[in-house]
Amino acid sequence: MSNATLHELAGQLRSRRIDRRRFMQGATALGVSGTAISSALRARGAIAQDATTVTFWTTFTDPDLSVIGGMVDTFNEQAEGYQVELVQIPPAQVTDVTQLMTAVRGGTGPDVYLLDRFIVAQRAADGLLQDLTEYGADEAVMSAHLPFARAEATYNGVPFALPSNTDARAIYYNRGALAEAGIEPDELDSSNGPLTWSRIAELANQFNEEGSGGNYSRLGFVPWMNQGWHYTYGFSWGGTFFNADACEVTPDDPAIVEAFQWVQDYCVDLGAQQVQAFGGPTMLPGFPAQEHPFVIGTLGMQVTGDWMIHQLEQYAPDMDYGITFIGVPNEGDESATWAGGWSVVIPEGATNPEPAFEFMSWYAGEPGQRIYTEESAHLPTIAALIEEADLYSENHLFFSQQLLPIAKNRPPLPVGARYWDELTIAWQSNYLGEAEPAAALASVKERVQPDLARFCPIEG
Amino acid sequence: MADTIVLPNTIQKPPERSGFNRFYRKHRNLIVGLLFISPWIVGFVAFLLYPILYTLQISFTRYSGFGEPVPVGFENYQHMLNDSVFWIAVGNTAFYLALAVPIGVVVAMVLALAMNQPVREVSIYRAILYLPSILPLFALSFVYLALLHPSRGIFNQFLINLGLPNINWLGDPQYSKIALVMLAQFGAGQAALIFLAALKGIPPSFHEAAMLDGASAWRRFWGITLPLMTPVILYDLILGLSLGIQIFTQVFIIFGSDPPGSPANSTMMYVVYLYLNGFRYSQMGYAAALALVLFVVTLILAMLVFRWSRGWVHYEGA
Repeated sequence: MSNATLHELAGQLRSRRIDRRRFMQGATALGVSGTAISSALRARGAIAQDATTVTFWTTFTDPDLSVIGGMVDTFNEQAEGYQVELVQIPPAQVTDVTQLMTAVRGGTGPDVYLLDRFIVAQRAADGLLQDLTEYGADEAVMSAHLPFARAEATYNGVPFALPSNTDARAIYYNRGALAEAGIEPDELDSSNGPLTWSRIAELANQFNEEGSGGNYSRLGFVPWMNQGWHYTYGFSWGGTFFNADACEVTPDDPAIVEAFQWVQDYCVDLGAQQVQAFGGPTMLPGFPAQEHPFVIGTLGMQVTGDWMIHQLEQYAPDMDYGITFIGVPNEGDESATWAGGWSVVIPEGATNPEPAFEFMSWYAGEPGQRIYTEESAHLPTIAALIEEADLYSENHLFFSQQLLPIAKNRPPLPVGARYWDELTIAWQSNYLGEAEPAAALASVKERVQPDLARFCPIEG
Repeated sequence: MADTIVLPNTIQKPPERSGFNRFYRKHRNLIVGLLFISPWIVGFVAFLLYPILYTLQISFTRYSGFGEPVPVGFENYQHMLNDSVFWIAVGNTAFYLALAVPIGVVVAMVLALAMNQPVREVSIYRAILYLPSILPLFALSFVYLALLHPSRGIFNQFLINLGLPNINWLGDPQYSKIALVMLAQFGAGQAALIFLAALKGIPPSFHEAAMLDGASAWRRFWGITLPLMTPVILYDLILGLSLGIQIFTQVFIIFGSDPPGSPANSTMMYVVYLYLNGFRYSQMGYAAALALVLFVVTLILAMLVFRWSRGWVHYEGA
């Protein structure tokens, strides 16, 4: 209709029945009214759709994405009056929520978002997340979760997230590959307790093999690969990363410096660049999981999490492997590990917060976490589910019964993303032999503490 | 006696026009012109002018992107002076610009000269040399990742076969920026095409006259080709500087985002740090201040290059 009117106007202009000014007025009026009508129609469409759809965004990829998809389908079968729509957004690193931020600012954000739990405090402090108290996240709901998971989901005493799963880190070892290299794998059995880091290094060195071009074709252990993070070694040496009383980050804790020093010495002894050339590509974007050195048998041992059980079932179903405790600095020390995990949140601007919370309560509650634990080989945060032994396979049971009780967690801070990034930069400089551990960790504190100071004091 | 002109009764005094009508008659061309370019004006105001002014405004605040910005005066600008990562980012970006842009000019020139050779298959060669330039940057980055793989990459295999050391381009902080400089040369085909057009524009008679005088090919290149190419070289320099200073995508893809700038901050470029502050560390105010400083520095750089160019750019007929 608007095109016909425009053609009529143009015809009148050509036959000089109207002047140019009237033509411009008519065309402008037509354009403005057309835009207004189409905008109104679009707005009506969006409202109509929002009334029955709870959008749930995740950055997860397979195999966990399929598990979540199945859970959403199960929930939708029983949901009344609305349906949950799972939307996969491009995967990003855990501390990166650019797409969420921009969507919320643009008024097109989701109703539910799956957020790495250690970053909840930061996003809550930003004003990106909604307080869940008003939707029903009361004491009864929150106290069903493990204490550390609950602490991570809370900022300044206010619940901003429902914990949906957790995990723990351990050492996986390829029994078959180690045995072929003349190493007795039974020494690593978890029933023998944790090995010292120096013993792990001795075993690893028996496995190492140089290939062409000066690079390694086989390595026994690369401390920083997979889940060998700064936190893994800092906790192993008994370090603490945050002093709550002083509201101060403490990356320069002498125990953490000592841990960094051990890792640096280990890597420099083997040739830091050669070790990097072996393990570095696995950290680059797009690296296929099925080609990981541990999966193809060129890496003897690695630190990784419970989810690796599922990945090995998929990519190396015939591998003979074992799982044991994270190493200890000295004989007789208690092993330490750390737990992370995810949570569900309601971002600001969500159009259907009440049904969203109803879904979240199911997803992060006992029914949802039971499914997720069984199908993904992750761990639940619902304390009651930890006790249900039949939820876990034998390997999985090691995580839930032996590791989770001793697991620590990253401090939930409103500068969590910056702290993680700065620790990682220091970690890289350390294992590449580019910086002295003490100096690298001191610079972490120098960069993070001023940002943290403006949020102090932080309530537990 | 002079003839008296009698006005016919039908001609009357024109009616009083409104203020707008008078204004319209006086500035008719201007108004119609503005109306015709109004789509551009609206775009400029909404997507360029407003964001710049808004950036200026929030650069004086502490702001996470949500809630109310808190005014902090010049705190963000003062913070830059003491922010060690800011200076690392400045240093890395300057290093990249200092190598990638001039090398880019040389590579584009060599490509253009190669594409200008009078051989029969020249169109095929031109297509081959230009091909990498039409690849989207993210696709090129993934290809580059495979080429530079420390064990399996073709590039390193080539180095090893030549008896040269096996370099860990992506994992060694000493070489990571060099890897980015090399990647930039994959896009030289774009500039080479413009250089080729400039080469074609040089009258053959100049070269013929020089040849009659016994000038060698090298002498003709320095004495004729290069001086006449200088306006295009200046254009390439300005474009290279303004794009190079904003390097982001390839860093983010090739070196990963956990954290960006890996390994050990060696590829922490200015815009990467700006992005991190805005979207990862919830410091939108500081990110805005960084953006403003970048804007001013780019402007000054462009002005300096233009000023410097007066000494070496030869415009035909000037």
